[in-house]
Amino acid sequence: MALLELDNVGLSFSGVRALDGVTFSIEAGALHAVIGPNGAGKSSLFNCISGIHRHMEGQVRLEGKELRGVEPTEIARLGVARMFQNLALFEHLTVLENLLLGRHQRYTSGLLGNLFWTRTARAEEVRHREKAEEVIDFLNLEHFRWMPVAVLPYGIRKRVELGRALCMEPKLLLLDEPTAGLNQEETEDMANYLMDLRHELGVTQVLIGHELRFVMDLATQVTVLDRGRVIANGPPSTLRNDTRVLSAYVGGTVAA
Amino acid sequence: MPTRPLVTRYEDDLKLLPGLWHKAGAVLGLAVALSYPWIVSTRWLTVGNLGLVAIVGAAALMVLTGFAGQVSLGHAAFLALGAYTVAVLGVKLGWPFWLALPLAGGVSAFVGVVIGAFALRLKGLYLAIVTLGLVFLTQHVLLAYPELTGGLSGTSVPMYWWFRGESGSAPSVGETWMLGSVVLGFERKLYFIFLLVAGATVWLTKNIQRSNSGRAMMAVRDQDLAAEVLGVAITQAKLQAFGVSSFLAGIAGAMFAFQQQYVTVEPPFDLNLSIQFIAMIVLGGVGSVFGAVSGALAFTFLSPLAETVGHSIPLINQLTSAQQSTVLLSIIVVLVLVLEPMGLFGVWLRVRRYFQAWPFRY
Repeated sequence: MALLELDNVGLSFSGVRALDGVTFSIEAGALHAVIGPNGAGKSSLFNCISGIHRHMEGQVRLEGKELRGVEPTEIARLGVARMFQNLALFEHLTVLENLLLGRHQRYTSGLLGNLFWTRTARAEEVRHREKAEEVIDFLNLEHFRWMPVAVLPYGIRKRVELGRALCMEPKLLLLDEPTAGLNQEETEDMANYLMDLRHELGVTQVLIGHELRFVMDLATQVTVLDRGRVIANGPPSTLRNDTRVLSAYVGGTVAA
Repeated sequence: MPTRPLVTRYEDDLKLLPGLWHKAGAVLGLAVALSYPWIVSTRWLTVGNLGLVAIVGAAALMVLTGFAGQVSLGHAAFLALGAYTVAVLGVKLGWPFWLALPLAGGVSAFVGVVIGAFALRLKGLYLAIVTLGLVFLTQHVLLAYPELTGGLSGTSVPMYWWFRGESGSAPSVGETWMLGSVVLGFERKLYFIFLLVAGATVWLTKNIQRSNSGRAMMAVRDQDLAAEVLGVAITQAKLQAFGVSSFLAGIAGAMFAFQQQYVTVEPPFDLNLSIQFIAMIVLGGVGSVFGAVSGALAFTFLSPLAETVGHSIPLINQLTSAQQSTVLLSIIVVLVLVLEPMGLFGVWLRVRRYFQAWPFRY
């Protein structure tokens, strides 16, 4: 069984058909790219998976469990982590605090334990710190550990956001344009991290991308959306010359 | 040359006083705090007591506004609830102060959580307006039961050591103790009790700040959508902030009542008091416990200073002394906002950086 199955998913916003009968599945261990022109419904799809939007038709199943109506908090607990398109970091907190917030749902000590800083609360803090440090090590964020996110450059912030998602130890990592706004070098770094993620940690990733070259090089599987519909689905090699993809991206005349 | 000790275990990173310099500073601060009532005049001892009350109140507001980002104008209402709880418990039931104090926090926290539940959907200015309404509501309720609260004329606040017995007499904190040649009067006793409460408050709020609960509050403050996707329960974080904040505010109100020995509804428990607490945390620096403490102390100690200085400033010396301190404090708060938006905490960061980089300029 696939890790995530989308079955005939539909979503409308007062007349705009954001998603229309979207059906495909994401295998465990894949780096699955979702591409498409602006307004194709890529981010809406992510919002349905992470529970921010509630799809009106069809099913989104994570390991066979339907996600419709499940609260975002609960979906996070089920192992879906998300990196936002426009950075959604906690600006006034340090990098370390941001990463520890990625582990928030795994904390068991409550307000009282924290208020009195009990032995259990302290031990838990250290345990999660160790995990966060592993991510810091993986993403080479050592220099920025104590810095508030607000003072960091954009490329580093993107990496912190990836780190925060990784701290959740997700089964499924949703990456909404991880390279948007990055320069050539930072993009290459990001590509390396994503590949390492797949090979070393075995995290299943869903990637939204605009930059075709980046996506085609990295992905094991590509789904192309246009105006809320799936117009193509398959490994990157089969899509390179697909006329529907080309026409959606470049315009009708090329396909003709 | 202050240097950081090498951190080899994560436990060390969690310590409040990690290095020798921190410990030295803490010992020095404690020495000053303990000797303060013996070296100053009665007038400044009273200011010191009010400063300790302000620390608890400002720390309370810091949890709600500084950590969780919920701007509240209703702080005075929670202080009033705490103050009247200890007054009623003392007068009607003869409870000792140490038992009434936590209950004052409890009553205030209960109201805080209920209000918080109503205010969950409100943000920013709207929340400020609703909490402002809470101040007026509390004033009305307190005035509506004169047999309990004394109404407009107010009520006295007894401070017993032990339960009042059948005869109606109980040992009061007001009695002066003579320990050999050491005189321990009411204000001095209050000072040490308040010092203990303020110390505990600082420790508790610091624990919130460095723990998972506090991070959840700050996550809600900075980015509530992202917080939710990370699994932060927004409702829970906000309610916790309201609960802790109003609990501590109730304690602060109770302390204030004990210090005044007699309370009325208005003044002091009006919008002006809420705004004073907001001024304190702005002055100190929003978002840190250090900011709450330094802002509270600076604000309380500047008021009498402003009254002293005010006489010699042209134009301002034509106002009454209360107006003088209001005008001067307002000017100071505005200047802080313009020159150092992070408040005294920002000043402290700069001083620390200077010494860390010493002998280099940066």
